[in-house]
Amino acid sequence: MSHAQYIRPENLDEAIEHLHRNGPRTRILAGGTDLVIDLRSGTAQPDFILDVSRLPELKGIALTPEELSVGAGVTLSEIRSSDVLKRHAPALRRCSFTFASQQIRNVATIGGNVAHCSPCGDTVPPLIIHEARAVLASKNGRREVSVEHIASGPYSCALPSDEIIIRFILRPASDVTFADFQKIGRRQALAIARINAATMARQEPDGKISFLRFALGSCTPTSQRLPEVEDHLLGRQPSAQRIWEAGKILAKRTVAITGRRPSTEYKEAAIQGLFVRMLTPLVKT
Amino acid sequence: MESPFVRIQFVLNGQPRSAEFTADATALRLIRDVLKLKGTKEGCGVGECGACTVIVDGKAVNSCLMLAAQLDGRAVETVEGLGTPEALHPVQDAFVDRHGVQCGFCTPGLLMSTKALFEENPSPSRADIATAIAGNLCRCTGYHQIFASIEVAAARSSSKDRP
Repeated sequence: MSHAQYIRPENLDEAIEHLHRNGPRTRILAGGTDLVIDLRSGTAQPDFILDVSRLPELKGIALTPEELSVGAGVTLSEIRSSDVLKRHAPALRRCSFTFASQQIRNVATIGGNVAHCSPCGDTVPPLIIHEARAVLASKNGRREVSVEHIASGPYSCALPSDEIIIRFILRPASDVTFADFQKIGRRQALAIARINAATMARQEPDGKISFLRFALGSCTPTSQRLPEVEDHLLGRQPSAQRIWEAGKILAKRTVAITGRRPSTEYKEAAIQGLFVRMLTPLVKT
Repeated sequence: MESPFVRIQFVLNGQPRSAEFTADATALRLIRDVLKLKGTKEGCGVGECGACTVIVDGKAVNSCLMLAAQLDGRAVETVEGLGTPEALHPVQDAFVDRHGVQCGFCTPGLLMSTKALFEENPSPSRADIATAIAGNLCRCTGYHQIFASIEVAAARSSSKDRP
């Protein structure tokens, strides 16, 4: 029988105080859709389960002229139905369409998805293309860290145990003309991504790409942008050939990171194929 | 000594209830093993099959992925709260009429997903239905009868609402 104790703080200060005293012995529960599985399998055996799902400080999506703020406790269903995100972070909103199931989207949170540090986390590539920073709170105050630096490897979180993610700050996509998120899984619904990717771009009236972000997930230990791929298309009117080449660079760079594995034969082609499928709308005919 | 037990109060199918259990108990364990409501099923136990779907504060959730403690202060609906054998809920009626049930194991979860869908969207499109029940696996029907059942339930309720 588990000896874990369930704690539900009334406010963020109480949560921080608990983490200050008991961080290493605590697992944070945001939605629970990953943690409950780990509790059941015994992978997680904390002394304390800190339920932050009702903390008002972790809620809400807000836009200011400079930045877009998404609370760590915002659920995937809330992301899906957000008009602000539809306009200012369309790839992030789109990732919610293929994220697990309605039942999971209703409780799973963006903060939990990031902190769980799965290489396949669907919210991570969209956050990375928005150069998102996580706002962390602890007894020592607040600090910000780039979302790319939260995972130090698969399921390995680089954040100290006395800190909690309270929200994400994104560069709004107000000036982009194109955005997309796609993933390849074993089936369409409820599939864990084998490959996932997010992109956004600004294309000038003459067809030139003046801004481009592309992030790939699931294929490398942590999701990441590959600047060489973006540079191959920036400042150009991309032809189908040019996009095919950029996809080739992406696939080669990914294989260089992971080394050749049994799955490489498939993944190398699939990564390039997904890239070409996503970026082809930028080809002006 | 701090207690590993959690005591909660919540509303279950319209009735106020309280319960006590260990912190790691799932909502599914509470419903099936403590409260002895066996309509909610455990299929996969990892959130892939939807057999354990219940409604919490109006939203469909997987009770296998939720701690029982998370239900504190919430309104919970299980299949037992839908209808009785003598007076079936309209969604249950439609599942009977359109053969939406074969072995029946997935049915309670599908009924709860459908009820949550109707609360948000009383006249869903086929795509809306597919989105709402994508997390409910059925290995018998091939889904066509389930879609038909849900469409019939929606059509009946909208014709009833008409003046």
